[in-house]
Amino acid sequence: MENELIYVYCLSDSPLRLDHVSEQESLKCLMFREFYTVVKQVSLDEFSEENMKRNFADVPWIEIHARDHIRVIGEVMKKSTVIPFKFGTIFNSEESLGKFIQNYSGSLTENIENIKGKEEWSVKIYCNRTLLNQQIVKISDDVRTLEQEILESMPGKAFLLKRKKVELIEKEVQKVMQICGQTCFDELAALSEHTKINNILPKELTERTDDMILNVSCFVNQGRVKELLSAIGELLKKYKNVGFDIAVAGPWPPFSFISIKEK
Amino acid sequence: MQENIINQSKNITLLEILDRVLNKGVVITGDIVISVADIDLVYVGLKLLLTSVETMREKRLAIVKTSQETK
Repeated sequence: MENELIYVYCLSDSPLRLDHVSEQESLKCLMFREFYTVVKQVSLDEFSEENMKRNFADVPWIEIHARDHIRVIGEVMKKSTVIPFKFGTIFNSEESLGKFIQNYSGSLTENIENIKGKEEWSVKIYCNRTLLNQQIVKISDDVRTLEQEILESMPGKAFLLKRKKVELIEKEVQKVMQICGQTCFDELAALSEHTKINNILPKELTERTDDMILNVSCFVNQGRVKELLSAIGELLKKYKNVGFDIAVAGPWPPFSFISIKEK
Repeated sequence: MQENIINQSKNITLLEILDRVLNKGVVITGDIVISVADIDLVYVGLKLLLTSVETMREKRLAIVKTSQETK
């Protein structure tokens, strides 16, 4: 169709239902060979190469469309196993999309098989360093021993030992963070089919006062999701008092566990 | 009906969404090529400029070494 492009949300190997998807009137389900895609027609004014580049610098535009992208895929995946496409994947025509599917059909089938029956969950672990610093004396034998030594020392030696204590606390805090992160990761990995570590996001973006220390995506068999969530609850109980928090969200469309790259 | 993250989507930060939808999933360009530089523009807009990939790498715990392992 003139002046229109094809925006792709997701793909499946079974017919996709859209009747439960909100704002479905703009969406279309197209069939190519044995695959089904959810697409919408978009205008060149917004999604041509040049215009999309301009729009990518416009955060409110990005927000509207990125949220729409994840919403549509999320709603479709309530009823079907779908491969999500990267935000902003555009084809000039249905023929062009069909050609892509033909070229990648083996890889698409393989990926669909890999994601069936699994869910992607994101788990982020945060550390409140102020609280952990306060609690470290309770956790670390070395810090307690040094504190005792300071109490029993002459002022000169005590002064030097106090400086040593600052260094020791920092070292012990790092050690506890490492242990907590590793323990949580091991537990998550044991309950997941696959895991993927994502970038740590800085405070100015998480809008939290504590530090993110681990950002992991877990790909979990649907039958084990309850177990995963329960294990996270137990980990949180174990580490909460010393300053750790765990934020879990899901299921996401399986963005992190799709492996289809440009040939 | 299976509940999912979309049911809480209003509470998900834009960053969390972008972290997934920009470079994951079927990562092919289609017919319209949006380059890495353009995707960076999004992050500039979100003030992510301060945290280059290198900085983020430095902040990772050593456990990332095991990150790509699969069971």
